[in-house]
Amino acid sequence: MKLPSTRSLRQKLLGMVLVTTLVALIVALAAMIGYDLSAYHRTLVSDMTTQAELLGRTIAPALAFDDTRMAKENLSLLRFRPPVSSAAVYNARGALFATYARADAARAFPKLPEADSARVDDGDLVLFKRIVSDGEILGTVYLRADYELFSRVYDYLGIAAVVLIAAMLVALLMSSWMQNIVTRPILAIAQVAREVVGQRDYSRRAVKMSADEVGTLVDSFNDMLTEIDRRTRELEASNAKLAQEAEERSRAEREILRLNAELEGRVRERTTQLETANRELESFSYSVSHDLRAPLRAIDGFGQALLEDFPEHLPDEAKRYLSRIRASTQHMGQLIEDLLKLARVSRGPLERRAVDLGQVAQQVVSELQQREPGRAVEVSVWDGMLAEADPHLLRVAFENLIGNAWKFTSKSAKPRIEIGALKDHGRTTYFVRDNGAGFEMAYADKLFGAFQRLHSATEYAGTGIGLATVQRIVHRHGGRIWAEGEVGKGAVFFFTLALVAEEAADEGAVGKKAHG
Amino acid sequence: MEKTIMLVEDNPNDEELTLRALRKANIANSVIVARDGQEAVDFLFGTGKHAGREPTTMPAVVLLDLKLPKLDGIDVLHRIRADPRTRLVPVVVLTSSSEDEDMLRSYQSGANSYVRKPIDFSAFAGAVTQLGMYWILINQSPPSRG
Repeated sequence: MKLPSTRSLRQKLLGMVLVTTLVALIVALAAMIGYDLSAYHRTLVSDMTTQAELLGRTIAPALAFDDTRMAKENLSLLRFRPPVSSAAVYNARGALFATYARADAARAFPKLPEADSARVDDGDLVLFKRIVSDGEILGTVYLRADYELFSRVYDYLGIAAVVLIAAMLVALLMSSWMQNIVTRPILAIAQVAREVVGQRDYSRRAVKMSADEVGTLVDSFNDMLTEIDRRTRELEASNAKLAQEAEERSRAEREILRLNAELEGRVRERTTQLETANRELESFSYSVSHDLRAPLRAIDGFGQALLEDFPEHLPDEAKRYLSRIRASTQHMGQLIEDLLKLARVSRGPLERRAVDLGQVAQQVVSELQQREPGRAVEVSVWDGMLAEADPHLLRVAFENLIGNAWKFTSKSAKPRIEIGALKDHGRTTYFVRDNGAGFEMAYADKLFGAFQRLHSATEYAGTGIGLATVQRIVHRHGGRIWAEGEVGKGAVFFFTLALVAEEAADEGAVGKKAHG
Repeated sequence: MEKTIMLVEDNPNDEELTLRALRKANIANSVIVARDGQEAVDFLFGTGKHAGREPTTMPAVVLLDLKLPKLDGIDVLHRIRADPRTRLVPVVVLTSSSEDEDMLRSYQSGANSYVRKPIDFSAFAGAVTQLGMYWILINQSPPSRG
């Protein structure tokens, strides 16, 4: 109970009581003193007037007989009236007739009498009273008496001070005792409020001590606490739920991070394995390129040397065998060449760029025409075949596809090759169509395997690697390749160059439309 | 002074076929054969096996295979191009490799020419003949130093 706020409330109450008491006392005392002083003044004036009247009556005979001595004696009776400090009697002519002065008083008297009056002069009451007998003015009595109003005022102030102090002390004690009745319930509420705030304990309740406004306050306060308690519980429950959710989320995030790290690790591992495999493949290709060719060259070279250097020693049969040996070595050289090409299209990065496939096809066609100017093939290449693809690989693909069409139409009456593109639902399917030898649909899935051939070498030359190369190029672009054909009527090769995200599905419908 | 040809070749078959082709083409100049990269370098700079040879006369052309024991063809080419005595010697890379990478590295290292050995002997002989003709008969060698 020593906190400033509580002291302040008590002080305010105390101050109120004391100020009220003080003001009431001062007003009461002032009224009393005022009344007393005016009463004193009136009493004194009336008393002295009566005294002067009596004195006048007493002295009237002396004045009538001009008996100064008697007048003096009469005046000297005033010594029994101590407040009277001096007195005088003037005769009818206004001359000083007899005087009296108290032992301690000054012996100064006004030279002339005045009309009937009573006034305060220099701390004394000065009174003139005419002596009238039968309507005749006999003389005037002059009285000067001690006017003790101011000393009374001082006395009263002293008393008032003592009364005030005493009254204030009593009021202080009383109010200290009584204000408890008012402040105790309020302070109790304040205490509970402080504890609630300090300890966050909303289960605390203030004790109702009275049924007055403070009692109502206690009820309201308790109701409020109940409400806060309820809401706090709800809030805490919701907070706990949130915290739990956050915890679960962060656990999930950690799990995701862990899985990601694991995945990245695996990807790194796989990448390393792939890189190793790629390097091995490259060194394999390199070895094939170098080491496999050298013996072939020797076989071919020394075969040729035999033919050139010892023609007379060799029978024709032997020469024919040697020619077969040389043809075979050359065929094997071609096989190695094509295998290396196949390996090469699988290596290196895929560089997608905007390519005009029509232009690429045209270049391939004109190369074929230059190589075999005797062939009359009707070739049509559609316009506007734009693609995002690796230009070099697409050229290799067209070299093989158009090259095949060129080759397999060599026995057709009116050879025709068409290169175009079909769009369906934003997906483009490219095709190379010919009216050449064609193939049986039953073998359609065997077309793209390496060394798979559907025609004999004597019919059509080839290594059987070309379409495998094309398929690998298409697959590297995330596309699909398939073919349709009929023996003696021709073949169509379709392929797509889907982006990685694109789904390579449902293209069969496009193909059929193209074929028809 | 007679112009010489240096053949750096580890495969005896290729060596013999090359020599035969040169002979057939009537290029009778002396051919120095080095069977690995180190031997080629030793000959050119008069070191190791060829210590004592004054490296004053240089071959008119070096026919250099890429895949060689000890020092490979590209290393030999680097050595040749790094030394002021051999810097100007014409070097023709003669190899089985058709790898773009090999061709690029050869030219980057200062090869004057890159020729692929065809498997077809007639074509091979033709290539060797043409090479010999060009570098020995047509091409003017850089002036000999020292």
